[in-house]
Amino acid sequence: MIHYRRIAKALVSLVLVVISCLFGNDLFAQANGQALFSANCASCHAPYKDLTGPALAGVEERWGDNKRLYAWIRNNQAVLKTGDKYANELYLKWNKTPMNLFPNLTDPEIDAILSYIKSVPAPNTEGPAGGGATATSQGEDNTLLYGILTLVLAVIALILLQVNSNLKKLSDDKEGHPSLDPVPFWRNKAYIALIAILLFCIGGYMTVTGAIGLGRTKGYNPTQPIYYSHKVHAGTNQISCLYCHGGAQEGKHANIPSVNVCMNCHMAINEYTGKDKLITAEGKEVDGTNEIKKLYEYAGFDPAVSKVWDPSKAKPIDWTRVHSLPDHVYFNHSQHVKAGKVQCQTCHGEVQKMDAAYQFAELSMGWCVNCHRTTQVQFKDNGFYSIYQKFHDDLKNGRIDSTKGITVEKIGGTECQKCHY
Amino acid sequence: MRQLDNRILRQYKMKKLAIISVLALSGMLVTSCGSDPTDPGRDYMPDMKYSRAYETYADHSNLTAKGVNYNNRPVAGTVSRGEEMPYHLPNDSAGYAQSAGVVDPLPKLNEVEMGEAERMYLINCAICHGTKLDGNGPLYKGGAGPYAAKPATLVGDAKIEALTEGTLYHVMTYGKNLMGSYASQLNRKQRWMVAQYIKSKQTGAKGDAPAGGSDSTSAATPATAAAQ
Repeated sequence: MIHYRRIAKALVSLVLVVISCLFGNDLFAQANGQALFSANCASCHAPYKDLTGPALAGVEERWGDNKRLYAWIRNNQAVLKTGDKYANELYLKWNKTPMNLFPNLTDPEIDAILSYIKSVPAPNTEGPAGGGATATSQGEDNTLLYGILTLVLAVIALILLQVNSNLKKLSDDKEGHPSLDPVPFWRNKAYIALIAILLFCIGGYMTVTGAIGLGRTKGYNPTQPIYYSHKVHAGTNQISCLYCHGGAQEGKHANIPSVNVCMNCHMAINEYTGKDKLITAEGKEVDGTNEIKKLYEYAGFDPAVSKVWDPSKAKPIDWTRVHSLPDHVYFNHSQHVKAGKVQCQTCHGEVQKMDAAYQFAELSMGWCVNCHRTTQVQFKDNGFYSIYQKFHDDLKNGRIDSTKGITVEKIGGTECQKCHY
Repeated sequence: MRQLDNRILRQYKMKKLAIISVLALSGMLVTSCGSDPTDPGRDYMPDMKYSRAYETYADHSNLTAKGVNYNNRPVAGTVSRGEEMPYHLPNDSAGYAQSAGVVDPLPKLNEVEMGEAERMYLINCAICHGTKLDGNGPLYKGGAGPYAAKPATLVGDAKIEALTEGTLYHVMTYGKNLMGSYASQLNRKQRWMVAQYIKSKQTGAKGDAPAGGSDSTSAATPATAAAQ
């Protein structure tokens, strides 16, 4: 009895061990394949996309013979030298870009990589079904609604007034009072005075706001040659503002990136696969992939012809300028970004949440001066302001309240000639 | 009497006309002040708004027609003040191989400069190569990001760690494979600084202490500097 039990136990455990080994190996091989692929191949190859090298899905079928493929993976230069026809054609097709050598990859490792490539599902060409993000902005047309309501009420009030006067006339007639000639409302002096005052107020208000707004372009959101979404780049993909607009820390202008900066990423990213829909200011939906194609036209890059981009073929993109200060005022970005350590968002708004960038701030003189009056200069650990020795001493002695600090105004930030000269 | 009546009537008509025209004008004013976001609106005194001089991004295409020779590139063969000497190796496989021997012209960065190098790395490189230099930045996200190719693992990949500062500089200058050139975003000095930063991270990650090696001296220099 005891013997049987022992044997049975041993058998069961053996079977368990064998099964776990089998499955474990299998799992291990798969995970291994992915790790190996990402460590060795993923820099230049993707399963379904041509990158520096060709897409690898179906690579075994294309080579036909696994032995040649394995030799190619380990040492492609040696295979080329043997005069292999397919290999040499491939080499020419990819502009003689040499593939790295992987002499240390073992057969099982290459097997694992190939089986991983097979296991990757083909990308869905139809794209994700729309997430129904049709949140129509409510509360936008409220002014129109209020206007109509006011008009209706005004008409009702007029009718009631008319009815009232008619009734009065009737009752006067009945009681035998001598009634005056009825004055039609367009000749009634009270009405005319009321309308005149109303028109004066409305007209005055509109004239004043219109005159103040002259030359100011808050909210300006022009149609750009390429629909560029800051939300996708700076928000979703977390690219720093200074990646493209690095000039903001170097000099007067926050530069507009040249085409080569776009192509740093867009040589590889040739389609828009983000979840957020791209909607223009007019409410039209934009096809992101199509916009990237527009960029390729400017760049003179055709991924179907060559994977290598020739920068000399590029021509600049005619972006429309959004922010524009008049010539009679001097503004320097680096003064604010580098010396003043002001965040971009302070003046440009939350650009990482805007699709097409629009002018967020008024950029009026009052707006500038208000900020200069209230903003504290970052004196601490900032070599730029070391020249203000007296202020530094006063801060140390406590003669100036350190919580209030030194505002930009105190170091002359509201002097006329600071900006106008 | 009749004449007077006519005159009053005419005056009255004129008045009516004036009122109607004022109403119409104000109506036009109201409708013309629409808020079209694609319209920059009107300027007053445009002669003080637009620069007479050619500013950055101004259209200078008409200069040649005016007989002015203008080229917005630095004069060939010149080096701007404070800039490192130009880099002469060509952008080909031979240049890439030669770059291994190029020596970094900068002295070893001190702590403040290394902080600046890190800032530049985080702005320009980390988006692909990751803040931890692991080749897994927000654009790749382990394959889930929009960037299909895996960026090089700067720390932890023996092949990349074997590259010299010169080769790193060469790659930053010209790009490699799918990586583009960063010469327009980082000047020569900044590129060498970033190369030093990457190297320092690689040696920093490698060993807690190869005792008595270059690591301990580099750790000692800031301490002595602080003491002085």
